[in-house]
Amino acid sequence: MTLAERIAAFRDLAEEWLRGLYHGMISHPAYEKIENEAEDIEDAFMLACFPDAFGIPSPVSYYTAELLPYLEDEFEAWERRMWDRGSLLERKGQQYHF
Amino acid sequence: MRKFVFFGGKGGVGKTTVSSAYAYKCANAGLRTLVVSTDPAHSTSDVFDQQFDDTPKPVDGVSGLDAMELDPEEEVSRHLQGIKRSLSTQVSPAMVNEIDRQVEMAHQTPGAYEAALFDRFVDVMRDSDEYDRVVFDTSPTGGTLRLLSLPEFLEGWAERLLAKRKQSVRLFERAAIGGREPRRIREGDPVIAQLEERRDRFALAGKLLREEAAFFLVVNPDELSIRETRRAIGSLDDATLDVRGLIVNKLTPEPDDDENGRGARFLRDRVRTERERLKTLREEFDKPVVAEIVTRIAEVKGDLLADVAAEIDVEVRVEPVE
Repeated sequence: MTLAERIAAFRDLAEEWLRGLYHGMISHPAYEKIENEAEDIEDAFMLACFPDAFGIPSPVSYYTAELLPYLEDEFEAWERRMWDRGSLLERKGQQYHF
Repeated sequence: MRKFVFFGGKGGVGKTTVSSAYAYKCANAGLRTLVVSTDPAHSTSDVFDQQFDDTPKPVDGVSGLDAMELDPEEEVSRHLQGIKRSLSTQVSPAMVNEIDRQVEMAHQTPGAYEAALFDRFVDVMRDSDEYDRVVFDTSPTGGTLRLLSLPEFLEGWAERLLAKRKQSVRLFERAAIGGREPRRIREGDPVIAQLEERRDRFALAGKLLREEAAFFLVVNPDELSIRETRRAIGSLDDATLDVRGLIVNKLTPEPDDDENGRGARFLRDRVRTERERLKTLREEFDKPVVAEIVTRIAEVKGDLLADVAAEIDVEVRVEPVE
């Protein structure tokens, strides 16, 4: 193995590590956090649209029902999140990486 | 007079008679007129002795006059069908039942009926280009007032939902760091499109009601009716709707002076108390009394309608929209 090849191999390794480090420390927690925040807002949106799913009568559910065909994914994910959300603290706590 | 004229008031005061008579008067003055009944217990059909339904139909014997009766029930099922249709094309079979239950539930809530009626109201107002005047015979006070205060409330609601949705979509877009596919994108989001359409519709309804509609309250010379009218004026004023006047209906005719039987004495007493109440209406309300209609012996229909129409001193001429 020539010196040039060894340097190239080392640079590849270093680059991979750096990318991994950047992903793990910066980009992954960042988008996860933002996505969690987006999910929280979406939950509030869904709750405002369909409070009757929890037995709270809503005078506008007649109109929000129109949105249901387009909210399939959101609806399913929302229900799932509502089930396994132990407490608000738990959910908020998850958003911090120590 | 503005293009849309609403007649409201307590149940049984004669809103249908008065609005039919006014529509008749407008049609006779050469205006293309539509009379719309929104009362679930439709009686426009009885006044004109002709069956009407959800689409405008010409009234026999009166040229330039159409009539229709809104049917919220039908509108609710039409709305339900529409959603179910897009449900079957959009949603995977596994989720259909889950979402279907939610949709069914939404159509059985107490507000559904009012929302449907409101939708029809807006439809009629929006598609009324061919008419010079649209007369609404509304259902008794409580229901109608709530209905007419809806646009502002609903517009605010749609606006808030829209803001939430936009915010979450924006965050999802931002979360797509480093060339990842965002989970939702703003461009072509059907939920935002739908909410925007709704909001615009509510805004239009509010604008039409505030700027192109005039309201009249039909009142009988009795204590209950007067009290309810006072409350009704209060809420219409609160909603910044334009109340133009009061129409006093079912006044007792006065007997001739030489009559002195039991009937005549009764009538004279009755007329005296009614004068008191008329005075109250004139002095304590800041809205003018625009018509005083004496009770008819027979049901008001046919020729009697023209008679009553003549007693309604409400401007017919179309006033330009400012």
